[in-house]
Amino acid sequence: MLKFIGKRLIQMTFLFFLFLSLVFFLLQAQPGDITAQFLDPTIPAENRAIIAERLGLDGSVWTQWWNYVTNFITGNLGVSFQQYPRSVIDVIAERIPRTLFLFTFATLFAYVLGFSLGKRLAWRRGGFSEHSVTISGVLLYTVFYPWFAIIMILIFSSGLGWFPINGFLTPELWRNAPFTGNEVFNQLLLSLGIAAVIFSGTMWFARRQDERSTARLVRWVGYGSALGLFVLFWLTKAEMRPFALNIVHHAILPIVTLSLIAFAGTMLLTRGAMLETLKEDYILTAQAKGVPEKDIRDKHAARNALLPVVTSFVLGLAFIIGGGVVTETVFSWPGMGSLLLTATVAEDVPVATGALAFIGILALLAHLLVDILYAVLDPRIRIQDAS
Amino acid sequence: MTGTQMRPAERNLGSGDTHPQAPILEVKNLVLNYEVKEGMVSAVEDVSFALPKGRSLGLVGESGCGKTSVALTLMRLTANNARVLGGEVILDGVNLLELDKEQMRLRRWADISMVFQGAMNSWNPVYTVGVQIREAMDIHWDPKPSASEARAKTEELFNLVGIDPEMIDRYPHEFSGGMKQRAVIAMALSCDPKVIIADEPTTALDVIVQEQILEELKKIQRDLGMSIVYISHDIAVIAEITDLMGVMYAGKLVEFGPTADIFARPRHPYTWLILSSTPSITGPRRQLAPLEGEPPNLLDPPTGCRFHPRCPFVIEICRTDEPTLTEIEPGHTIACWNYTQVPVTLSRGDE
Repeated sequence: MLKFIGKRLIQMTFLFFLFLSLVFFLLQAQPGDITAQFLDPTIPAENRAIIAERLGLDGSVWTQWWNYVTNFITGNLGVSFQQYPRSVIDVIAERIPRTLFLFTFATLFAYVLGFSLGKRLAWRRGGFSEHSVTISGVLLYTVFYPWFAIIMILIFSSGLGWFPINGFLTPELWRNAPFTGNEVFNQLLLSLGIAAVIFSGTMWFARRQDERSTARLVRWVGYGSALGLFVLFWLTKAEMRPFALNIVHHAILPIVTLSLIAFAGTMLLTRGAMLETLKEDYILTAQAKGVPEKDIRDKHAARNALLPVVTSFVLGLAFIIGGGVVTETVFSWPGMGSLLLTATVAEDVPVATGALAFIGILALLAHLLVDILYAVLDPRIRIQDAS
Repeated sequence: MTGTQMRPAERNLGSGDTHPQAPILEVKNLVLNYEVKEGMVSAVEDVSFALPKGRSLGLVGESGCGKTSVALTLMRLTANNARVLGGEVILDGVNLLELDKEQMRLRRWADISMVFQGAMNSWNPVYTVGVQIREAMDIHWDPKPSASEARAKTEELFNLVGIDPEMIDRYPHEFSGGMKQRAVIAMALSCDPKVIIADEPTTALDVIVQEQILEELKKIQRDLGMSIVYISHDIAVIAEITDLMGVMYAGKLVEFGPTADIFARPRHPYTWLILSSTPSITGPRRQLAPLEGEPPNLLDPPTGCRFHPRCPFVIEICRTDEPTLTEIEPGHTIACWNYTQVPVTLSRGDE
């Protein structure tokens, strides 16, 4: 497994530099002279040349490319034109946790909900509930996403007033706040991260228990301690709590909207995959063995139906990135998607390149994660790797 | 003598020997239909047979004759559109068809286990074979086996069926076809069932492995005193391993009796034709008699005897009245109006 991960990391590095070069040249190939757009035309020509040189805008495309790639390795992504003189890495570092937060949650909800509903649909095929849920799934799957997001805002924010209309925090509340938004946000992520690590650690440990009763105990200890630590974490940060709640309040509607859209596809796919696995001979074997119905559904059928669903996650990554731009724009969520959009529109080339590069890194990491997950879920793959 | 290469089971189960004790499994007047868009398919019609304890029984017939439907009814695993319209399946004194779902679930594998048709795919690919065998033990053993007990039992079973116990923690795809089938047999034995149903246990395997698996099954039956029901379209397999056999045609049992007797002298025209159409390697050379025609459409089975459109010995009554199973010798029953016309020797064709 380690050898496999190592091999993949090397491949990914290579792939990433190909991708980075492609992004660089694509943005270079755009019409227009950047220096002309950003530098005041009243500046004397010799001064303009000096500034252009400082920004690395002189020299041929090839030298610029070489400089960019070598600087990228050292972590220098240049400075933003739009927010001059902020460094690109600083801009991205501010945005990336927000996007990760939004999409990790939306993806988790979508897959957990979609999978568990999908397997139930396939299991009780033919009933009224199956038809109605399937039809709503198809509706959600095919709906024009930006329109759906606006409708959600219309209903839940402007109509019912449950959630803020847009944004990431309420400016009035934060005017004299002792913290910056990102400080609070990072604490939020940290506490969630700790809870997630404890949770998945105990799940892993529970699976290795031979006795079912021990496994159940370990699992409950896992749920309890993850939740307990999370609560404890925020009990010790009484001052920060209202601000954290404010951020969470803003995040709910985008997460719900994104989950609803993404969940439908997973649900329909799970349903289809389940219907296939239910025809397999090993399901009949399980029935003949006297395995309880619920275990046949979850342990035998759904466990196998999970494989194509995981594959779909990889294929769906492109949608997630594209959806990111739309979601963040509609909800004014200041993440990577909206950064990419504003940077592109404003021809802030260093930020746009940097944003694309980081989205690329995230996509590659997600691919790696799925590959590892796949090897864990399907024993047939693990063996092929070893041989 | 029979003119075929098949060896009937070695033990001589002469006529007087068929009722040594109360049967462990008894099927009485089983009627099963499948509900389809076009109507009702009469898949199993009035089938009765009994399996004495520690013996083996084979059901043979062509595809679609209802033999697998019978097997699945014994386990109550028939498809959703199957309707059992009548009859009883009595396993050790209990009518399985009267049990509720949960009671039946607990009896499966504990009392009656099954080696499936296409056992190659009987294993769930994502769990090790050991885990899947233990799953059955966890459900049916009382009390549940501890990890070491389960392992010891599985090792014992693996040794019994001739697999290296080291393979317990391996995944199904690491097993060869024959090994998978052996492991399925081991799993079928894991809860000490009273009866095992083997539905085409060797169909997907090559002949050499087929032979080994059959030997294994025979050994298990002999050594453990297991009662086994075999389902096969391969009459050679049935000849080799069963004490009793039933021949099914178009959902009906047409001949039933000791395997040795039936091979020595088939009395039903269908059995006689099947055996006549089978070439022999060791017997005298003879022209094969073909079995003309096709099995009937069971949506609308023929009136009278279901075999009459293909029967060379057909007489008037066959077209109108259904023959019932009649005992012509002790333990040997057939359903035919005109069996006295069936020749003593197998057909020599148009020689």
